[in-house]
Amino acid sequence: MSRYEVNVVLYRLKKDSAYRTRFAEDACSVLGDVDLTEEERDAFARWDVRRLNELGGALHLLLSIPGLSRH
Amino acid sequence: MGQIVYAAAMSHVLYPDYYDQNVGAHGRRMVEELIDVVRDMGRTMLGARPDALVVIADDHLNVFSFDAIPAMCVRIGRSVDRMVQEDAIEFDRALDGLPARYPLHEDLANRILEQGLESSFDFAASWAAPLDHAFLSPVSTLCGDRPAPPLVPFWVNCFVSPMPTARRCFAAGRHIARVIAEGPWNVAIIATGGLSHFPELSFARIGTSDAAFDRRIVGWMEHGETDALCALTAKEIHETGSHELLNWMVLIGAASPGKARVRFFGEMGRVDLAALEWSLS
Repeated sequence: MSRYEVNVVLYRLKKDSAYRTRFAEDACSVLGDVDLTEEERDAFARWDVRRLNELGGALHLLLSIPGLSRH
Repeated sequence: MGQIVYAAAMSHVLYPDYYDQNVGAHGRRMVEELIDVVRDMGRTMLGARPDALVVIADDHLNVFSFDAIPAMCVRIGRSVDRMVQEDAIEFDRALDGLPARYPLHEDLANRILEQGLESSFDFAASWAAPLDHAFLSPVSTLCGDRPAPPLVPFWVNCFVSPMPTARRCFAAGRHIARVIAEGPWNVAIIATGGLSHFPELSFARIGTSDAAFDRRIVGWMEHGETDALCALTAKEIHETGSHELLNWMVLIGAASPGKARVRFFGEMGRVDLAALEWSLS
């Protein structure tokens, strides 16, 4: 369940520039009503891509989010 | 009687700047060598005058989301668009100058889909999925300034577990070959992606490949050892970063019992690059 939610957030960050902007301004607020564990929420807030990947975030999403990805 | 007139597989990030930035000058040189080989392969392919070009490739979570990931999907309809995405990553931005729309071979795509369902292949169908670099980078390199033959895009889920097995992908390729044989068309078929990279789809392992594994599987392709290829497990494919080999397995099934000829093989470290052509009986 949480793994699905992690990837839903990542996919939306990739595809929805307005969502991405809001996330960059205040990630905690944007993720407020998303069903994430505290660990997942923390990894998003710190934008720790390795940790998000370890928690089930799809590599190809983490590599392709405009402005947030790095190879 | 229809026939497969050309069959090949090749890596699909044919973008020198990407390798320059992520690997360095030797990465750029290696992919430039590969691009020259793929261009030459394209002359052979178009010289065979195919009525259609089946392209077996994967989705990098550009098209399908976690709401639904088809194991295999046939693109149907009359035309297909190039993927356009704001701030796309570098090797999809490289598609910007390409045609925005490509004709599809609607009849062949429909037959692969419909006869597949009649034969226990529960392919998904898409009327709208656009094409990213996995399709258009090889097609544009093969065809250059010449128009591409009408396409039949065919997606394999290579990245979201559970993926189809190597054996099932091979069987799907046999199905495609049967449909082609029963039809009236001369058809080219390519698979794209690979070789090994991004082992375990782990961020921590980016930058490594498994050259020994790649040498072994390419050897099997050269010798037509399809049993060994079909026996590859999901664990082996995942651990070695050979996820896109599943695309190749469809092609290998379609070209079976043909054997491959290696046109290019390069060990880069971050990814191993290859281009192979199959003999056709």
